Amino acid sequence: MSHDLIERYIYAVLKNLPARQRADIEAELKELISDMLEERCADLVPSERDIRVVLTELGTPSELAAKYHSDGEKCLIGPPYYSKYKLVMTIVSISVVFGMSMVSLITTLMGETSSWYMGLFSWFGNTFSSLIWAFAFVTALFAFFQWRNVDFGPELGDDLSSLPPVPKKDEVISRWECIAGIVISVLFAVVFLFAPQMITAVLGEAGNFEFIPVFNIQEIQRIWYLILSFSALGILKECVKLYEGRYTKLLAAVTVATNCVSGVFSWLFLANGKVINLQFIRSMSELFGPNETFIVHVFENFHLFFLGVILFALVLDTALVVYKAIKYN
Amino acid sequence: MEKEDVLSGLILELRRGTIVLCVLSQLKKPMYGYSLIQILSQSGIAVEANTLYPLLRRLESQGLLQSSWETGESKPRKYYRTTPLGNEVFTSLRKHWEKTVQSMNELWGDDQDES
Repeated sequence: MSHDLIERYIYAVLKNLPARQRADIEAELKELISDMLEERCADLVPSERDIRVVLTELGTPSELAAKYHSDGEKCLIGPPYYSKYKLVMTIVSISVVFGMSMVSLITTLMGETSSWYMGLFSWFGNTFSSLIWAFAFVTALFAFFQWRNVDFGPELGDDLSSLPPVPKKDEVISRWECIAGIVISVLFAVVFLFAPQMITAVLGEAGNFEFIPVFNIQEIQRIWYLILSFSALGILKECVKLYEGRYTKLLAAVTVATNCVSGVFSWLFLANGKVINLQFIRSMSELFGPNETFIVHVFENFHLFFLGVILFALVLDTALVVYKAIKYN
Repeated sequence: MEKEDVLSGLILELRRGTIVLCVLSQLKKPMYGYSLIQILSQSGIAVEANTLYPLLRRLESQGLLQSSWETGESKPRKYYRTTPLGNEVFTSLRKHWEKTVQSMNELWGDDQDES
């Protein structure tokens, strides 16, 4: 039985279905509609109204097509991927907002934008468009996983024997420790990028203070990307700590990697001595005089002293994390 | 949410599994979709065509049913019947169903009088 309305209805259903199923479903629907009309009209020729009633009973074409789809095909990003999608989206969004805010602040403070409100506008515009890009990218990535049914392997804990043991008291990394770490990294970047003059030596007597910045402001502004990377590496390390919540091999590996890179950055940052304000070194040498040769020597090589402290802290941190990761695993 | 909405949602969930049981029980001999709807509705089980036809395809893709087009009659018809796997699954499902019904009856015992 062929009727224009039936043909159009079936076409509208098939349009939303995978091509390889279309021919079979088309034949099946023709058979079904014809059976339904026969039941309704018996031997009489079905009227347009009968056809409308039967097709209405079957539901709208999109409803019917949706029933032919399996559950997985209905979603852009379905159950096995959705929770990971949400997690990745949250991390990416936070990182984008943080990163763009940092960049906007730097460009504003370095005087590349004409005024603070222009800086604010460009911050808003850039952050917003970056967020849209990030959103589109992450969504497309997970939609691809869904489409290709990418297998990420068993979830942690799917196999009972792979469930991680309950951490002992010393083994747990406190959330606050990680948050403090992130805050310190952010403060480091903010102070060095925006107000390095805050770190200053105060000389003279009451009423006649002289402020001598420890760092060479122009040099600091020139190597802003090193400072930002140094801070970002610190944040990355703390995020892994926060995510793992305990001393694991992954955390140890990330710590070794980020601390090595941070060490190299510190070297680039400090080894040539340009970052220290020459006036500061001169003032300190004058202050302590020729008798205090050791202290004068320290100030004359203040950049190396500073580098030594940072490298020592990095080595200590790496050793501690690696030691704990080995001990608790 | 209205009581009717909640109830119809729950009934839908309950029916979803039982329809599979009904279908597998009837398809030991080959049958086409619409005749299955009629047989089920005569037994008081109303299944809509737009639910049954996609379900038959799904069961076929799971290997519980097999289908063939019969072109000898006045119009081509697609006949479904259970595979050996489908029969095995039906037997297990049926036992499970009977056990569930028995357990449910024991569970609520005389509660029916209270309501």
